[in-house]
Parts: sequence; C-alpha cells; structure tokens
Amino acid sequence: MSQPLIDLNHISKSYDGELILDDLNLSVKENSFVTLLGPSGCGKTTTLRIIGGFETPDKGQVIFGGEDITLLPPNKRQLNTVFQKYALFPHMSIAENIAFGLKIKGKSKSYIDDKIKYALKLVNLNGFENRSVDSLSGGQQQRIAIARAIVNEPRLLLLDEPLGALDLKLRQDMQYELIRLKNELGITFIYVTHDQEEALTMSDTIVVMNQGYIQQMGTPEQIYNEPENAFVADFIGESNIVGGTMIRDELVEIFGAKFACVDKGFGTNKPVDVVIRPEDIDLVKPEDGTLQGIVTHLIFKGVHYEMEVTTPNGYEWLVHSTDLFPVGQHVGIHVDPFDIQIMNKPESEDEEAVGVNE
Amino acid sequence: MKSLQKKLKNFWENFYLVLVLIFLYAPIAVMMALSFNSSKSRSHWGGFTLQWYSQMFESSAVMDALYNTLLIAFLSALIATVLGTAAAIGINSMKKLPRSICMGVNNIPMLNSDIVTGISLMLMFIAFGVSLGFKTILLAHISFNVPYVMLSVMPKLKQTSRYTYEAALDLGAGPLQAFFKVVFPDILPGVLSGFLMAFTMSLDDFIITHFTRGAGINTLSTLIYSEVRRGIQPTMYALSTVIFVTVLALLLITNFSPSGEKAGAGKKRAALGDSEPSGNGGKAAGTPSPLWPKIQKGLLVCVSFAVVAGISYTSLLKFNASHSDELYVYNWGEYIDEDVIRQFEEETGIHVVYDLFETNEEMYPVIEAGAVQYDVVCPSDYMIQRMAENGLLAEINWENVPNISNIGQTYMEWSEAFDPGNFYSVPYCWGTVGILCNVERLEELGVPVPTKWADLWDPRLSGEILMQDSVRDAFMVAQKSLGYSLNSTDPGELSEAKDLLLLQKPLVQAYVVDQVRDKMLSGEAAVGVIYSGELLYLQEEAESLNLDFTLQYVLPEEGTNLWIDSWVIPWNARNKENAEKWINFLCRPDIAKKNFEYITYATPNEAAFRLLDPEYQQNTDVFPDTSTLTTSEVYRYLGTEADDLYNALWKEVKSQ
Repeated sequence: MSQPLIDLNHISKSYDGELILDDLNLSVKENSFVTLLGPSGCGKTTTLRIIGGFETPDKGQVIFGGEDITLLPPNKRQLNTVFQKYALFPHMSIAENIAFGLKIKGKSKSYIDDKIKYALKLVNLNGFENRSVDSLSGGQQQRIAIARAIVNEPRLLLLDEPLGALDLKLRQDMQYELIRLKNELGITFIYVTHDQEEALTMSDTIVVMNQGYIQQMGTPEQIYNEPENAFVADFIGESNIVGGTMIRDELVEIFGAKFACVDKGFGTNKPVDVVIRPEDIDLVKPEDGTLQGIVTHLIFKGVHYEMEVTTPNGYEWLVHSTDLFPVGQHVGIHVDPFDIQIMNKPESEDEEAVGVNE
Repeated sequence: MKSLQKKLKNFWENFYLVLVLIFLYAPIAVMMALSFNSSKSRSHWGGFTLQWYSQMFESSAVMDALYNTLLIAFLSALIATVLGTAAAIGINSMKKLPRSICMGVNNIPMLNSDIVTGISLMLMFIAFGVSLGFKTILLAHISFNVPYVMLSVMPKLKQTSRYTYEAALDLGAGPLQAFFKVVFPDILPGVLSGFLMAFTMSLDDFIITHFTRGAGINTLSTLIYSEVRRGIQPTMYALSTVIFVTVLALLLITNFSPSGEKAGAGKKRAALGDSEPSGNGGKAAGTPSPLWPKIQKGLLVCVSFAVVAGISYTSLLKFNASHSDELYVYNWGEYIDEDVIRQFEEETGIHVVYDLFETNEEMYPVIEAGAVQYDVVCPSDYMIQRMAENGLLAEINWENVPNISNIGQTYMEWSEAFDPGNFYSVPYCWGTVGILCNVERLEELGVPVPTKWADLWDPRLSGEILMQDSVRDAFMVAQKSLGYSLNSTDPGELSEAKDLLLLQKPLVQAYVVDQVRDKMLSGEAAVGVIYSGELLYLQEEAESLNLDFTLQYVLPEEGTNLWIDSWVIPWNARNKENAEKWINFLCRPDIAKKNFEYITYATPNEAAFRLLDPEYQQNTDVFPDTSTLTTSEVYRYLGTEADDLYNALWKEVKSQ
C-alpha cells in the first residue's frame, strides 16, 4: 500500500535553453491520487509527459515499480494517459476506440467484448459501442477516453487536465466520477490541473509547482491551511498576503499592530510573509479590532458577502463574512491566532521564482 | 408583371449559364464529333464511322503511348505520394520557421514554369550521364508531383491532433502501428486526393516529358505533338474522346454523392437511447450511410487493379519481345507504315525502337547533344547539309546497301546539292511546292488559272491567297518569281524579295502552317501554296466529298523548291550495320511501294514506281516529269548569318 510506485529522481528538462524542470524529485505511492497543480508553464505537463514516456529528461531517472524506465518508449510502459483533448480516434467507432490497446496486445475477441461492456458500464455509457466519436458530447468523449485507458489495466493512470474543456456543472460531476472510478479500480492516479478547486476536491496529495520547482507537497488540508510560501498561498484559494515582522515566537506585527499567532522558530524581529484567509477575518466594532479600517467594497456572493476593508496604510483586506457591513462603515479587524499563517520571505534567487506571477 | 420580370430574369440567367458552358465545352464537343467523322477533313462531315476508334486500338504506336502514359502516371503518382506524405509528416513536426521555409521551397517548383523545370531536368540528366528514356521521364514526373502531394496532405495533417498518435503509443502501439492505424486513416483523404492530383498532373504533362524523354518512348502528349507536321490524325480525336469520357466518368463517381446520406443517421441515434444530458443538439452527424463510400472505395480498387493488371500484362509482352539486337530509329510522325517496321523486325530479328520528331530544328539539337544515340534518322535536305558540315553524320557503307540501285539517278544528283559526293544520305521521300487552285472560284473572280508564282500578285486575288507560314517557303515564292535562287544570300536580292512579299501581303488571306488542305477543301480560298505530299490525300478526299469545284495543282514556270527527306546515320550510332540493313530494307521495291501507299509522298525508288498502280504512275501532280524541274532547286543550309538575315526580313513582313 505505501510502496512508492513511481519515483522521479533529480529530473531536469529544458527546451531551447529554457529550463522547464530543474532537479525535480517526486515520489508517488501506490494507490494514491496525486495532483500536480500550478499555473500554465510551471512544468506540470512536462512532468506528466516524462512519466508517460513522451519526453526524455535531460538529467535524472524515472523509476517505476523499482525499475528504471527513463528511456523506455511509451508503448512499453505499464501506464496509460488520458489526454487533455481526449485524443479519440475519429475514424473508429467507440467500441473500436476502447478495443485499440487490447487488440494490439492480441487479446481474444470475447475478452475484448467483455472489457468494452465493462468499461462502458464503468463510465455510465452503456450501449454506446457503435456510436461515432463525432456524435458524442465533450463529457461523453472524456469518459470514453478514460474507458479506453483503463481497459488496459494500467498500474498508473495519468490525466492531463482531462476536465479542462468541460463546462462547470459537467466538471463537478466528472470530479465525483473520477474519485469513484479510482476507488473502484484501485489504480494510482496522477492528475494534472491548474484548477485548485479540482485539486482540493479529488486528491490525496497535492504537489504545487511553479517555474519548474515543487513549491509544496502535502494533503489538501495542509496545502490550504498551511501554505509554505506566498505563491502557494496565493495560488490556493484567495488570501491576504502581507509583509510583517516576527517580533518573537507567537507574536507578529502587521502594519504596526501586534497579532498573536501560533507559529514558532522564526527568530526575533525577522521580516516574514503573513497569510490570512478572507474567511478567517472577523469584522468587529472598531474599538474591539486589532486593526481599524473602512469598508470600501461589497458584493453579495450567495453563501457569503465579499468585502474589502481598507486600512489607513492603504492595504485592501479581502474579507468573507455572512454578516453584512455596508460600504463606508468603520470596522475593526480581528484574527484568531491559529488562523494566522507565517511564512519565510524568499531569500535566494531560486526561491525568488516562488513569487507570484500574476 | 412581376412574374414576367422574374421569368425574364430566369431566362437571362439560364442563357448566360448555357453560354458559359458552350464556351467551355464547345471545343471538346467539336473534337468528339470529329472523332466519328469518316472524312479526315476538319471542315467536312463525311458520315459516321468508328474506323478511327478501331484504328486507334490497332495502332501499336498509340497503344504504346497510352501504356507509357498510364504507367508513368501511375508509378510517378504512387512514388510521389509515398515521398510527399513522408515529407509532409516530417515538415509538419518542425518548428514554425523551418516549416514555413520548407513549405516555401516546396511551392517554388509548382510556380516555376514547366519549360524551366523541363530544361533543367534534361540538363541535369545529361550532365550526370543518365541516358534519356523511360526512367528519366519517371524521375521528372516524380519530382514535379511531390509538391502537389505535400500540398494536399499538409492541411489534413494540421487538422489531425498530434495527441491521437501519442494516444496510440500510450495504448501500446509501436510507432509504425500507431502511424498506420491512427494517423494514416485520418490523413487518408488528403493522401488520396494528392495521389489523384499527381496522377492527373502526370497525365497532362507535355513540356517536361518532351524534354526528358529519350529514344522510342512516347506518351500521348508527345505522340500527338509529333504528328503536327502531317496534320493530327483523327485517331487522336478518338483517343482524346476516350480519355475525356473516362476522366469525366471518374469525376462523376468521386464527386457525386447521394443527397440522402444523412437521412438514416438521426433515427439510429434515437433508437440507441441517448443518455447525454443536453446541449448537443447541433451535432447530428451520427454515422454516415455506409453504402456510398463503399461503392467509391470499390471503384477505386477496381480501377487500380485494372491499371496494375494492364500494366503488368503489357510489360510481360514487352519483356518477352525484348531483343539484344536493337535499332534506334528517329523519324517524322506518320512517316512510315507500321507494318513495315513489324516486317523488318520479323525478317531481321532486330528490335526497332521507333521515335518521332516534329521539325528538323527540334531533331538537330537532340542528335548534337548525343543524349539519345539514334542509329538512323530521316531529316530534310538542308538539315542534312548542316549535320554533315558539323560532323554529326557517319558515311554510309554502300556495300551494305545494294538496294541503292533502285533509287533513281536524278534523285542522287539532286542530293548532291546538300550531300556532295553522296556520302551520307539515301533519299526516302520527295516532292515539290506548288499552287493549289480552286478553278471555279477563279472563274468567278475572272482570273485565269495561275501558271507562275508572279500570278500570286494579281490584285483581283485580294483575300483569296493562302501562303505558307515559314520563312524559307515564303521567300522562295518571291525569290523564284524574281528569277533568283532560293538559296540566295545576297542582301540586295533578299531585300527585293521582302519588298515583294510586303506588296503581296494585302492580298493574302492568311499565312498558315497545315490548314491549306482543309481550307481549300472547304472552298475558303481561291489559291494556296502547298506541298505536293498532301496532294494524293487531297485528291482522294475531294473525290469522296463530291465537291462542286475542282482543285488543280500548278507547278509554277519559274521553278520551285524540290524537297527531299533522306535517311542518314548519326556519327554516334551504336548499331551502324543495323542502320544500313534498315536503309537497305526500305529501298526494297515492295517495301517502298507499301510505304508510298501509306505516306502518299512521292518515292524516289524507281523500281517501286514501276510496281505502282498505273493510276498513281500517271499522276503528274505527285510524280512530275523530273526533266521539267531544271529550274527548281533544293534548299541548302545557308549558315547562321544568312539565317538571321532571312528571319529578320521575315519578321518585317509579318509585323507590318
């Protein structure tokens, strides 16, 4: 169960002198659902293509089930890929698409027929055998692409932004479907996306990447609640990221006001980055708040109100609250100690890459 | 009111459409009609016949050319398709800049004019010592076909997602399997249309083939062109009709798809029970009706099979018939009875590779370059002189040509004008140039039948004269009427002749190449300058057409041009003894007689003359009394300087 199925060791890759991956190390355990998350150009797709065998790394090794498969061509690897644009074969029927891999492996006709039925049932598309690819909707095509991959019983399924082309409702349905599939099949999934919500919903482990580096790896809760740097914090959900000074353990100063927190070990009077999620800010009467400001913006979002509170230094705090504070009202800002996340400021040039792009 | 307007509008629309269609298809319709015309004339309907079709299928020259055309088109299209598809795939996966450079380079040969491509290919073949022949045509066709294939495959490749290839690899297919099972079916329509385009381009090509072909190999286009001198034979109309109908049929089959194609798809879809949520109503493509593509595919397979089968069958015949003992003959189009070639092959066991040229001027550089080594050639008088002077001819060993005794002494003497000492040439056909008159028409105009060239300056003949559209023939008329030699190089005499031609020009209806015969037969002009070679055919034709006028041939008193076409052996002939056997064979009386009856040009073979039908012997138009021709002359080669002068003066005449 906890054996590493695949290990990427010191992988580097560059195109035309541009470094895409730099000394990447990643270990994926058997039967886990790992998501590579990051903005476009962060190297997540390249990582996936290296695992799939479509790219060869300049440096480093790919170890699969204890074997070095770095130079093995894709057709010899015990894994399958679900491509971003589905990549169904347009001149074949649905059944022929699903049977493709099995026919190549020389399976018997009855075996193949059973597998087609089984796979179509698994993706809820019973009876679609003789349909043409053109006649399917995007969501249906995606499910066929998954069916086509899983009939080959891979040990590892790679999914490259498979839901990217679908509309929101369909995307949410498919997320649950994928989780169900993974649990039924017991296959390891490596999933690439730039959508943080998808990542948080489905994964056991999220790997946040930016500019060829892994920024943070952890469970969805860890990634969301304890981002290790400003990039992760900003990329995962909405955040207020502000500069602050760690006065001593468990006390941080932000814009001249002192906040109690739970973080330790940053030293004394050290400049740090502070992350506070908008839903963790409590708006109170001005005299009860640690900081004071004026509500400058208000939008009703359904579940909550989204407000902007401007403090005297000009910073606009993003606040989510079920309580309404009209624009122009003076308010106080209060944050519970365990809702404050302290991060080191980037020091080296490499870490500079961590900085937010957008 | 409105409906009338509408009707009128419709009428004009249809009228215009019909006009356009007539404009496009009238020429083809005329050609098709002529292919069923029992008269060879282009202006008279002699009744319906299928004889040209049967002649076409019997003629080995036509069938050989057809075979070559199809084989070259098929092979070059096939090879170009493989090469072009591979190249397109390679280029498609390049980065943007190199890709656009490659596509640019690819487009240049298509924009390049055929003549440049043809000449440069020929030069390259010669430079690398590749002897011109079947394989050079094939190579040339492949080279000009590849860009067309690439151009039609490229867009298909661009449409194809590269991920499908990767998906196939991912599912366990090797690179080749992935290509043939996934990528290839996807780009197949492009590949097929590329193949068809290449096939058509190859079928169509004349210029490039003309420059890259060698001895004994003709495609349809070069064969038709080689017949220009004696007038294109109606068998060619028949052949063109067959080709046109075939292409039309293929086109209809490939382009016509029944409109009910999508009817069944919707129902099928409903029956399957669509579980799809919503929002996909527009995409009702479904599965296409499977029948029609199958018919198309089947036809395509049938056609390919027929072509391949036909080709292999004929190659088998060819292979069986191949001989080590060969003779390369280079002759005018339609200038021998094909039976004579067959008979020669049977009697001697020598395999004849027979090739055609259209003009002396075209033949000369071929012999000079030596790219094709012919063993025996049949040029005209002045050209023989030029070839001999430039050392392009080998002396004939008369011991091997005992039948030379059958050739009349007069003709050997005439030959001395261009072949002093009779070293190089054996006369084959000869004739005169004279005036063909429409007697009744002249009577109407009140003009007596001309007796001399000078009569062609009679102002009453305004718009009634047909002149030959060639420098020497036109000048000959003026020079002879002035009493000068037709081989004069004196600038004063030539200038006088030019002035005379300018004086005549207002009277001339047209300067024509080979339409004198047809125009005279249809009574379009009163007089025309014509080669005596045409006469026998013309007389027979006039008889069968029951003309209401008489055509009379006049040999002008001042003398005229005597022309002789003779066999010569090029200096680089590889089978000189076979060439001498050939010449000797053609000098045999029975063979010369047979050839005369086919070609109908006067034969210099006196033994053969004696065997002829008295009707022919007494035809003084074809066989004038040679003793009356003392003032007539044979053209001599005058050198480049005089040639330039003649051409410059002729240009003046034509342009004023």
